Amino acid sequence: MPTTVYTARRIITMNPAQPDATHVAVRDGRILAVGDAERMAAWGPHALDTRFADKVLLPGFVEGHCHLKEGGMWDMPYLGWFDRRDPQGRVWPGLSSMQAVVERLSAIDAQMQAAGQPAGAPLVAWGFDPIYFGGERMTVQHLDRVGDGQRPIVVAHSNGHLLNANSAMLAIAGVDADTDVEGVVKFAQGPLHGQPTGELQEPAAMSLVFRHVGNAGLLAPLDDAGLQAFGAICRLQGVTTATDLVNRLGERELAVLRRCTGDDGFPVRIVPAFQAFHGTQGAAAGAEHVRSLLPTSTDRLRFGLVKMMLDGSIQGFSARLRWPGYLNGAPNGIWVTAPGQYEADFETYHRAGLTIHTHTNGDEASLAAIDAVERVLARAPRPDHRHTLQHGQMIDRPMFDRMAQLGLCANLFANHLWYWGDQHHDMTMGPDRAHRLDDCRAALSAGVRLAIHSDAPVTPLAPLFGAWCAANRVTPSGRVLGAAQRLRVDEALHAITLGPAWTLKLDHEIGSVEVGKRADFAVLEDDPLQVDPMALKDVRVWGTVLSGRVFPAG
Amino acid sequence: MPPIPFTVIGGFLGAGKTTLLNRWLAAAAALPQAPRIAVLVNDFGAINIDAALVTQAGSDAIALSNGCVCCAIGDDLSAALAQVLLAQPPFDAVVVEASGVSDPWRIAQYALADPRLHLQAVLLLVDAAALAAHLADPLLTDSLTRPLAHADLVVFNHADRASTADLATAHAWVQADAARRGRSAPPCLETWHADLPLALLADRLHTPHGGGLATRPADHGAQFQAWQQQPAGVYDEAALRTWLRALPPAVLRLKGWLPIADGRWLALQWAGRHASVKRLASAPAAGAALVAIGLAGHLPVAALAAGLAGCLQQNGGKQH
Repeated sequence: MPTTVYTARRIITMNPAQPDATHVAVRDGRILAVGDAERMAAWGPHALDTRFADKVLLPGFVEGHCHLKEGGMWDMPYLGWFDRRDPQGRVWPGLSSMQAVVERLSAIDAQMQAAGQPAGAPLVAWGFDPIYFGGERMTVQHLDRVGDGQRPIVVAHSNGHLLNANSAMLAIAGVDADTDVEGVVKFAQGPLHGQPTGELQEPAAMSLVFRHVGNAGLLAPLDDAGLQAFGAICRLQGVTTATDLVNRLGERELAVLRRCTGDDGFPVRIVPAFQAFHGTQGAAAGAEHVRSLLPTSTDRLRFGLVKMMLDGSIQGFSARLRWPGYLNGAPNGIWVTAPGQYEADFETYHRAGLTIHTHTNGDEASLAAIDAVERVLARAPRPDHRHTLQHGQMIDRPMFDRMAQLGLCANLFANHLWYWGDQHHDMTMGPDRAHRLDDCRAALSAGVRLAIHSDAPVTPLAPLFGAWCAANRVTPSGRVLGAAQRLRVDEALHAITLGPAWTLKLDHEIGSVEVGKRADFAVLEDDPLQVDPMALKDVRVWGTVLSGRVFPAG
Repeated sequence: MPPIPFTVIGGFLGAGKTTLLNRWLAAAAALPQAPRIAVLVNDFGAINIDAALVTQAGSDAIALSNGCVCCAIGDDLSAALAQVLLAQPPFDAVVVEASGVSDPWRIAQYALADPRLHLQAVLLLVDAAALAAHLADPLLTDSLTRPLAHADLVVFNHADRASTADLATAHAWVQADAARRGRSAPPCLETWHADLPLALLADRLHTPHGGGLATRPADHGAQFQAWQQQPAGVYDEAALRTWLRALPPAVLRLKGWLPIADGRWLALQWAGRHASVKRLASAPAAGAALVAIGLAGHLPVAALAAGLAGCLQQNGGKQH
């Protein structure tokens, strides 16, 4: 059995019994020894690999709530407000004005022309979010300035619920002043009064356009290329285990997953969560399906996770909030699953021995989940279930205390502190609740097992950025949302390693650098425990090691 | 290609949606010239189809020997609908089951958005025996009440199990919601075992070029009543729009096409408690026609006739 010993400037193990090391021995893809040179010698001869001698090793980062679609978005140009890195490592600068959006679209239109694409070939772009534009909405008056106005253009919003089309696209779709569909926004005044603005809200209105653009881009099912691009992003960000937190796990999805992860060159372990809502089958059949997949798990593809969903999103005003509701007076949000149905289905999956991760954004939804889980556990106790509330953005201390009693884990959406923190403060929930948004501190104080996540592609896949959010709680306007709730950097790093590993019931295999675990490392150029916490997001990632295989970022 | 009538069935868990769909599939199987229905459901397992009728059963669709099909919606209604619309010959009717807490009006938008579909009706089933308990749950009150805004017909099902007080609560709930919104309340019907006629799904008057009125109204059973007209005269567009937006209460559904000035025609529609008026590209083959459906004994026939007559153009199109 060949043994390789890696030396490093520092190994931050996340193992409290041995927090620091300089050497790690790897055999059969697993960690054989951790410590100094002397400790390595106990296992006999080994090859010494010094390529990481000036690097800092951490356990490979674990992304406990993202979507593989993060890798499938980059066939389309990005139009978001914030800078974002694509799978090739190229940074797309953020666009902070409608004019900047128009200019980027014009450049792409020109490229398409130069590449000989016909004028009628649609330009589909993604990542736009009007919430940052202070009330200004994108209309055909912006998009018709792109090129000569002949090319159909579709701008998908980052929330997935809205899009904008230009006049050429609207004409193809037959959308005009007479179109009588809710969600087709019309000009309320001015010379274009009564004409569509080009903004289409929610699936039915969006289907007017998608019917003609076909299955390109946004609606395209994930293919091998998209999954490979996802893997490339993971290498760039130090991620060695990532969830796919909604997956139908049908024949098509399974074929793509098995083909890609079956290749030794695939750089990340995938943990898909079965879609147990909007289902095509009842809970009993769903549980049976997931159980039937368990024996087919491999090192790089792990089945057994189940995803359920209770409400919508806070910034979309579709999350379920308790009193006093939305700051702007918007009516309460929607139940994606009725609480009673949730409880019944949850019990079925729970009794089947599976681990259930539940989307709850608003505090009323989180409370409904806690109440339901409490009743289910009273009827059907099960030790060490690892059920987890995902997002949990408005959970307060009393709820965290109950979660601790029930063994419920929290995977909080810390990236919201930066991406929508100001909007939550000013528009959705107001200052008081915004100051305890994604309250990692309260979770830890209550004794709840904590992870943080990106929900990529909703926000970029980048665990160190999430840790930066949890450690600093700053917003783009410079606010600090709840200074007392900030995590220490070591706590934040735990929430992107051992914390999420616990929620996936993989903490015995990954999440720390300890003998017996998988040889998964995030290889960093800088020491995250030495930099200023405000520089945590700028720590450079060299690449990763997955089960002993080295994957440079580039 | 005439558009296919599209019906949405809303209602909370236990209201009887699946019972209704099973009933309709069975009824379609029993009739010699019943419509070929495409039924789109959330929970495939709950649909109970006589095995003798099943000609093909896949993981997300079951085909029946009478030409009907039952499909799983999954997480993408657009995709499921696209499949149904590919069928040749086209289905005679499409029925979509809204999930327990979703707003059926959002699903109705698909019919308004697709020229191949025609919104027939939004039906809301309510478990009359359990409504009071459901409304008392603060997590559910708003979700249960929201769909009332666009329900063409509210069906108080399980009326056999409901007490007089339960039924009074149910009627008061509908009236109070309508009053709060300043609208007339939708027709309400009490049923046992979701006993609604198949004829609600399709009638022959959904296309101006499809042959006009049947010689005899579709059999809506004893519960419903139709008012059919083949009016003469030329109508005023503005007056029709105004009339349609303030139809007398108790009209479940109305549709038709009428001539306006200069040889042009309008298609009128009242479905989902929502009025729509559109220009027709050409004159309908069978001339002017109008049909309104309401609960038997409650359809305000005289008011409808008077309202329609009030929309006649008085002076040859030279007013304004």
